[in-house]
Amino acid sequence: MKGDMLRPRISPLMLVLILVVGCLTVGPVLMLILGSFSRGIGAFGAFTVEKYIRVYTDPTLHKTLLNTVIFTAGSSLFATALALILAYLNVRTDIPLKGLFHLISIIPMMIPHIVFATSWALLLNPSNGILNLFLREVLGLKKSLFNIYTLGGMIMVEGLLDFPIAYLIIAPAMASFDAALEEAAWVSGGSKFRALQRITLPILRPAILASLALVVVRSLAAFAVPSVIGMPGRVYVLTTYIYRLISLGFMPDYGRAAAAGVSVLVTSTVLVYVYRRLTTRSERYVTISARGYKPAIIGLGRWRYPLSLLTSFLFLILIVIPVLVLLYVSLIPYVMPPSAKAFSMVTLKHWNYVLRDPLSLRALKNSVFLALVGASLGILLSTFVSYIIVREKTVGSALLENLAFFSYSFPGLVIGIGFMWFFVHTPLYATIWALLIGYIATYLPYGIRPLTSAFIQISEDLEEASKVAGAGFLYTFRRVVVPLATPGIVSGWILMASMFLRELSLSAVLSRPGTEVLAVQILRFADDSLWGQVSALGILMIALSTIMATLATLVGRKTAKARRTG
Amino acid sequence: MKRWLVIATGALLLISFGAFTQGDELLQKALQEGKVVFYANITAVEPIMEAFHDKYGVIAEYTRISTAKYLPTVLTEFGAGKLLADVLQAPVPILEILKKQGVLAPYTSPVAGAYPEWTMDPDGIIQIFGIEYVGIIYNKDVLSPDEVPTRYQDLADPKWYGKIVMPNPTSHATTISWLIGLKEKVFETEEEWWDFLRGLAANKPMFVKSFGPTPGPIETGERPIGISMPKYIITKSPAPLDWARLKQPLLGTPRGIALSSVASHPNAARLFIDYWLSEEAMKLLSTHVGEYVLRRGVYPPIEGIKDATVLPVRTLSEEELEYWAEKFSEIFGG
Amino acid sequence: MEIKVKELTKVFRSPSGEEVRALKSVNLAIPANKIFTLLGPSGCGKTTLLRCIVGLEVPDAGEIVIGDTVVCSKARRIFVPPNKRGISMVFQTYAIWPHMTVFDNVAYPLQARKVPKEEIRRRVMETLRFVKLEGLENRPATALSGGQQQRVALARALVSEPKVILFDEPLSNLDAKLREETRKELRRFLTELGITALYVTHDRLEALTLSDLVAVMRNGVVVEVGAPLDIYFRPKHRFVADFIGKANFIEGTVESTKGDYVQVATPIGRIACRYVEDAVPWQKVTVCVRPEAIELGRPGQTPGKTNVFRGRVVSLLFVGENYEGEVRVGETVLAVKASPSSPLAEGDEVSVYLDPSQCHILKE
Repeated sequence: MKGDMLRPRISPLMLVLILVVGCLTVGPVLMLILGSFSRGIGAFGAFTVEKYIRVYTDPTLHKTLLNTVIFTAGSSLFATALALILAYLNVRTDIPLKGLFHLISIIPMMIPHIVFATSWALLLNPSNGILNLFLREVLGLKKSLFNIYTLGGMIMVEGLLDFPIAYLIIAPAMASFDAALEEAAWVSGGSKFRALQRITLPILRPAILASLALVVVRSLAAFAVPSVIGMPGRVYVLTTYIYRLISLGFMPDYGRAAAAGVSVLVTSTVLVYVYRRLTTRSERYVTISARGYKPAIIGLGRWRYPLSLLTSFLFLILIVIPVLVLLYVSLIPYVMPPSAKAFSMVTLKHWNYVLRDPLSLRALKNSVFLALVGASLGILLSTFVSYIIVREKTVGSALLENLAFFSYSFPGLVIGIGFMWFFVHTPLYATIWALLIGYIATYLPYGIRPLTSAFIQISEDLEEASKVAGAGFLYTFRRVVVPLATPGIVSGWILMASMFLRELSLSAVLSRPGTEVLAVQILRFADDSLWGQVSALGILMIALSTIMATLATLVGRKTAKARRTG
Repeated sequence: MKRWLVIATGALLLISFGAFTQGDELLQKALQEGKVVFYANITAVEPIMEAFHDKYGVIAEYTRISTAKYLPTVLTEFGAGKLLADVLQAPVPILEILKKQGVLAPYTSPVAGAYPEWTMDPDGIIQIFGIEYVGIIYNKDVLSPDEVPTRYQDLADPKWYGKIVMPNPTSHATTISWLIGLKEKVFETEEEWWDFLRGLAANKPMFVKSFGPTPGPIETGERPIGISMPKYIITKSPAPLDWARLKQPLLGTPRGIALSSVASHPNAARLFIDYWLSEEAMKLLSTHVGEYVLRRGVYPPIEGIKDATVLPVRTLSEEELEYWAEKFSEIFGG
Repeated sequence: MEIKVKELTKVFRSPSGEEVRALKSVNLAIPANKIFTLLGPSGCGKTTLLRCIVGLEVPDAGEIVIGDTVVCSKARRIFVPPNKRGISMVFQTYAIWPHMTVFDNVAYPLQARKVPKEEIRRRVMETLRFVKLEGLENRPATALSGGQQQRVALARALVSEPKVILFDEPLSNLDAKLREETRKELRRFLTELGITALYVTHDRLEALTLSDLVAVMRNGVVVEVGAPLDIYFRPKHRFVADFIGKANFIEGTVESTKGDYVQVATPIGRIACRYVEDAVPWQKVTVCVRPEAIELGRPGQTPGKTNVFRGRVVSLLFVGENYEGEVRVGETVLAVKASPSSPLAEGDEVSVYLDPSQCHILKE
């Protein structure tokens, strides 16, 4: 009775949030859209639709679009399915080696994508990929078994890269729903598998959809994998197409690139809309209630060890191999397949260089600042935004959700220019605050998604009880809403912080002397193919992110424990 | 006699003092300005920044901006009245556009005389100091010097099938200009050039997005040979890279440097350009980064490069670039 | 404190644009220090009314006055938010905060109102003692049994010493035995404290045993308000009679209104009913008789002079305390009750006596 209704009044908080988020995300996108309708290469010029005509009448576009659809759908389904399986195994079963899950879910996010993609090319290229050579030797084959430079290879690598995003959204949802619902299904005669299929999956639907939405948008905008793996195999997707638009000629027309990017923006907006349509009846999924929310653990029996092999295998390919490749490359003078010769040449010169380079050190400092401060401010904003999106069923919440996705939906190659066009008119230009604001605006969905699924699961009764008990909005928020959403908040913070630590697309445009950041420094080395330095900085980046994520998890756990013991 | 000597010494002192003060004046003003901001497309020039600071006590801030973002960044800042750069370095085609937009100011450095006549802009604005030279680079652990090409045409030999890496000729502007340069400056007939292109395409080269990633597959042996840059022999040392000693000239996009018309540190900027063009800085550039510089007598420490002919390619118009990008997509099946 | 509800209207709009009128100009006066129950089938608007009074719903029209304060008036643009109304509420789901201990749950209303720490401790412990939860204060709230959680919710509602306390079906999640005990306990607590309680339920037994006054609701309208006995034995509406317990309805026509009884002609014969002033001859009425007002005997054994009919036992079902059965009189089947000691069996011929003082005329 209390659900399903539409409160027609938009609350003042909603208005404030729409204003804040709008300012953050609409400015740069608006600049880009202006640019796409302007003659010349700036944001402002005489009106023209010529750029759209040229992009959308290009005869090669349809093949590119087909590739894009396959690539995006493939990698998002792969990432989400993998996340679902692993989250279920970790949260709901007695599978051994649970510690691995935590690492699997976080570390891959911290590996710069270009490095991850390159190390996979090193392993699986058809000419002399290390794994291919090994399999050729063992199986006595003439030709290589795998070719990474294919659509399949791209889907696998992008899927693996996006998998942690999916996991961090699905696992908290899996952890916090009422096991009684599942038990009820078993008791009523269904098998465990049936319960999974009929009860568990439908309840997780908001989280699954949230994960799909986020990963689709992410892989639509991905550039590292399409350029490192797609281009050598001549598989082009929308982002490499856009890259072609801006790298061809010295007068790169970002307006035209923005015109191409508008289709991504439209797709994402539609996806967000569809996602909202599918989850409007959020009350149906309310599952945290007063009757406790400890999920029951399912015994895997004889499947325990085979399944843990699966996780170990994932752990190997997601973390051990890339990190080992990084470590190896950082320690040899130049990149070569491992051999006795390679090991005889081990050197610390890349490390020495990086650790003595004042620019790299300043970049390190700036990136840590941006990650810590940016993620904390970002999560603060996301908490309010996702709360109001979930609780207020007005037109405003649809608007707010779309706004939050706005600049995130634009391919990273282009959005940076939008921010530059925007910030150059403010005193923030060329300061670290421009980066901070740009980061938060672009990656807001990373905070909002996990929090939205967390809030959907908190029964509204718990907040109403607080209001009736004499508490105002902020008091309720602080003492009831936030503590119950802690898993979501921690997930969101980790996502944002590790994203900010390795952010490249915006930084490459907005970073100036004094505001250098890690990823730009890495790119600078990568542009000169200095893989040793790239790897050394990459390892530093992973180490820093790991420390931050571990601290965040510990804090989250401590809060959880504190609330249990009072 | 004594008196004459005194006068002569005095005059000499005065003259030399005057000359001294002229150079000193620029330095004094530069010191007052305190720093110079340098936007560059060239990478790994930190040693020059440091050497400049050590020598004059003026801070040099270096921002690297990639080719694709160079014009949007500079023009956006310029348009908003917030151009931070005092000195701009970029491929000549980019500087020419900036010149047309009024972003650059004339400045002829006193050391410009050490460069060939053609490197100087008739308007005295852009000074060319180097060429981003392209060559055929190979992995010397995998290939021996006698099997590598001696002419560009050799790359069309079917024996290189699946062995070549190169920047994507359907999208990378510098590579397109380079291929057109071959047609105009190296190949005797256009037919010969077309044969070369078709042969190269038939060898299914691996495409990467720009020159930056080309040495990667060469050094690992994934693609033992490629169209790349000899400078990587220096920057990637001790990787087993070498360049194929071609009988034909090497080509590349000319690199230029110029003063900003809205420099907030104009004197430091002039001091910096003078230093940049000095033998000391050019030697740093060629020794540390392997750059091919045009200051007479300075060469990168790459064996045999002294004897090579290195020519600049011309600037292609946007229309030409698009035309050829399309043509190359047809040939290479981009 | 007294609560007055005037012309309260609430309309919900579904996302598809349909309008559901949950409350239609409801008027209600809830006297101070009484236990007042809103009873009705689900969807009748009782919970909406409760939520409007506590301030969790904003009505579309009308006025709510608590004590002397107008807390909500559409016309006068007044809306006092729930945290400023000084009302407590016990939720159907209890809405115990799972991340807090019992102590923190109960202390919360005082903490939110910035009561000094020492006083909080004293009052929480006092309240926990009152609801018999002492010693459990440091337990996580979710570690308690359903009944205990229910008492935590009650303690939380009581701790701020409110003048009004609202209950939204608080017992529906308990098992039958516990529900009965809790019901008695709750009545004791509330009478002891002497505060105004508004209680929402769809369980008639709960309403009858707990309340001082019951309001029966249907489709967004209050149908009837009365004391439990009146509502049960002397309802004015067939809907109320039917909803509040099992009843037999026999259609008929008023024959005469003279004497102590009103005589009604019905298909089973003439029935003498309890006198009502406004009955007139030839009026169509319904006679309402509760099963327990029907006495069965051997044929010929007549407990009374009037209202005796002949019938046959159709069915007889043992339900624990007594038999529930059906007796056919002519074409009419009447629901009846019989004591377990009764020697009757299915198919027996019986005499059926309807106690005239409990034959009740409904005008509809």
